[in-house]
Amino acid sequence: MPTFSVTKRPHFTPATLGWRTATALVLCLSPMPLLAQDSPDEPANSPENSSENSPANSAAEATNTAPIPLVPGEPIWDSFHGQLNAQKYSPLDQINADNVGELEKVWEIHTGDVADGSGDLPATVWSATPVFANDTLYIGTPFYRIIALDPASGEEKWSFDTQSSLEALTQPALKNRGVAYWEADDPVAGESCQKIIYMGTMDARLFAVDADSGEPCQGFADNGVLNANQWNDTNDKWPLSLLQPPTVVGDRLILGWAGMDWAYEEAPPGTVFSINARTGELEWTFQALSDQMREQSGTANVWTHMSADEELGLVYLPVSSPSPNYWGGNRTEEVPLGTSTTALDIETGEVVWSRQWVHHDIWDYDINSAPTLMDITVDGEEIPALIQATKMGFLFVVNRETGEEVWPIEERPVPGGDGAVEGEVYAPTQPFPTKPAPLMDQSEKPKVWALADAVSFGQCSALWEDLRYEGMYTPPTTEGEGTLGFPISAGGVQWGGVAFDPESQTAVVNTSHIVQHVRLYGRELYESANRASGNESGFASQEGAPYGMRLEVALNRLGMPCWEPPFGELVALDMTTGDIKWRRPLGASQQYGFYMPESWGSPTIGGPAVTAGNVIFIGASMDAKVRAYSLESGEELWSDQSEAPSVSNPAVYEYEGRQYVAFVSGGNTILKNQVGDQVAVYALPE
Amino acid sequence: MSTLRPTRLGAIVLLIASLAGLAIALYAYFVPLTGVTGTLGALVAILACLALGVLALLLAAVKQKKAAILLRVLILLGLLGTFFAGMLLHQWWICAAMGVGFIGLILDMVRPSHHAQPAHA
Repeated sequence: MPTFSVTKRPHFTPATLGWRTATALVLCLSPMPLLAQDSPDEPANSPENSSENSPANSAAEATNTAPIPLVPGEPIWDSFHGQLNAQKYSPLDQINADNVGELEKVWEIHTGDVADGSGDLPATVWSATPVFANDTLYIGTPFYRIIALDPASGEEKWSFDTQSSLEALTQPALKNRGVAYWEADDPVAGESCQKIIYMGTMDARLFAVDADSGEPCQGFADNGVLNANQWNDTNDKWPLSLLQPPTVVGDRLILGWAGMDWAYEEAPPGTVFSINARTGELEWTFQALSDQMREQSGTANVWTHMSADEELGLVYLPVSSPSPNYWGGNRTEEVPLGTSTTALDIETGEVVWSRQWVHHDIWDYDINSAPTLMDITVDGEEIPALIQATKMGFLFVVNRETGEEVWPIEERPVPGGDGAVEGEVYAPTQPFPTKPAPLMDQSEKPKVWALADAVSFGQCSALWEDLRYEGMYTPPTTEGEGTLGFPISAGGVQWGGVAFDPESQTAVVNTSHIVQHVRLYGRELYESANRASGNESGFASQEGAPYGMRLEVALNRLGMPCWEPPFGELVALDMTTGDIKWRRPLGASQQYGFYMPESWGSPTIGGPAVTAGNVIFIGASMDAKVRAYSLESGEELWSDQSEAPSVSNPAVYEYEGRQYVAFVSGGNTILKNQVGDQVAVYALPE
Repeated sequence: MSTLRPTRLGAIVLLIASLAGLAIALYAYFVPLTGVTGTLGALVAILACLALGVLALLLAAVKQKKAAILLRVLILLGLLGTFFAGMLLHQWWICAAMGVGFIGLILDMVRPSHHAQPAHA
């Protein structure tokens, strides 16, 4: 029973140096990245002192909150992933596979909080999940406003404007992933702030407002505003942007943060804060990096949502990679909690167990989605499990009490460096799950797409020849056009994570198949290179490191992918066996308005929701459609056009006896230059 | 009743189809939630339908056989291209309009040519 099972410790082998020429750029997409942060005066559980973890049971004893039923009796959609276990599952079945085709839009609103980047404001990226609680639908906007809506009509109940500056202080766009909701166990009638909505801002402030009135909660931090930047005391290159709403566990807010991608070698180190939900007082912190590494590296933060099992007393952290992203010469020691899933004791913040999914991460493979908790029956044995989706396209399934693998996870040898990168070391092995199978085949260099190659007169083939690829985890290089990655940071699964139907024990996940290439540039060469860059692509300095870098999607000059379709899929897995039940292309790619065949699929950002009606709801695709699929067969059952790609998780809720499905369509310039401010809600005809 | 009228039927059908395509493309471009609102592709469809309309007018007016043939070739290419664009834009009514336009082109080609036999009113 591995506690703090940082799997095997890799031996690092030194590398040598070298570098070479440069080139230009094209377009792009890619992921989102790092965050870092720091804790002030807290006895954070650094990895060193966390090894002997408090057993899960004792944590459970210490927790006095009610357990979360993994097959919920009542519909809950009061957080970013619907439920704290991140299943994104609703037991509602009024809308089912037989009648979902009759869905109609019952209301929509446009918040007005949108920018395409052409004016004074940066573009907006809106990935909020509508939160249904307190008989109200709550949303946060990328202009950092909270809006409370009537769930049946969309009529505004109240709104609260944080008056936050609309500047891209850390991320390249104005980003928001919505709000969090907390309520007291026994709300006192007539007393305010017994139910609270929380939302963070890019300038590192967390706002707490009364869920009924929208008035700031005076008893929370400084008159309803918590300045998280007060704890930004190491390598404070940027504010600790609170783009992801806190994870609410009992009376605690577990708070991570986001930062600036690929910009610095030394960056704010990843710290997670546990805050009293009523007062805003800091209760404990968790640090993913040792004291030394906090100074010389940074990030390894949690910038996405977390999941929790209150019965076990554990909160599960998807931890990102340390800085800088594509060179690790400043962190040659082991960083066991970087790029990991780490389980903490909710009461103390101590590490109970941790599994590192990428050793010495030099690919920006941040763990970017909350692990989904599930009870599964494997070989007749009921296992309290979790599944961790990753950018790599791997799905890791472990026992959520102990971190022990459900199906074998093998340490396999991986390619080393080519000797061109100064100061770098390489992990000799990396963890590979044996089940479920990888969502894409990364074992071989992906084939060039003949069509894209032909219309670009061989541009794709030429690029392929200039890209190094010796399999998954081929390290970045300075040579040629660099290293091919399938995927690097943009591919695999994004923050939408895995949905799970606890009745049929079926997991559902959307994935992207994206080839990118990354190249390192010696500092002198980097300074003279063309450094135009876009949102999460192009050149980035990694200031302080000996290398800047350039990351691009492998497109031809017409903007066509150089690799073969499909470019994105929806996949259903039988979690009793780990086998794939079905998989199908998801959505359609779209360029300049022209739709590509649906058999090619679309890269996806956003996530699915599943219901007891055997329906999967998902947006996520480039074509800005929202869809329903059969959970059983994967057949598309319904679709509707939305304003922009719905790069968020849908919400499923019931209000006054009627089931609704809500989509936020905000777009993400990583996927496509199309932004929106639409909330669209669907139901069956009355 | 002018003896020219039957010979111009094809061009008139083509003109109507082009205008219908133009209306649909304008709708697709300007109205929210068409899936192609404000896109370059929808703009291209607008311009293509406009061009087809102009070509249809020219076809009705042209007197020389060679010029008529050239116009028909251009129109055929325009119809095919706009049909294909409509398909990729998922604007199926544009495809239908181009189908009607194609019928107009066929009518223009199979009817006695007013270009070869100028009519006398």
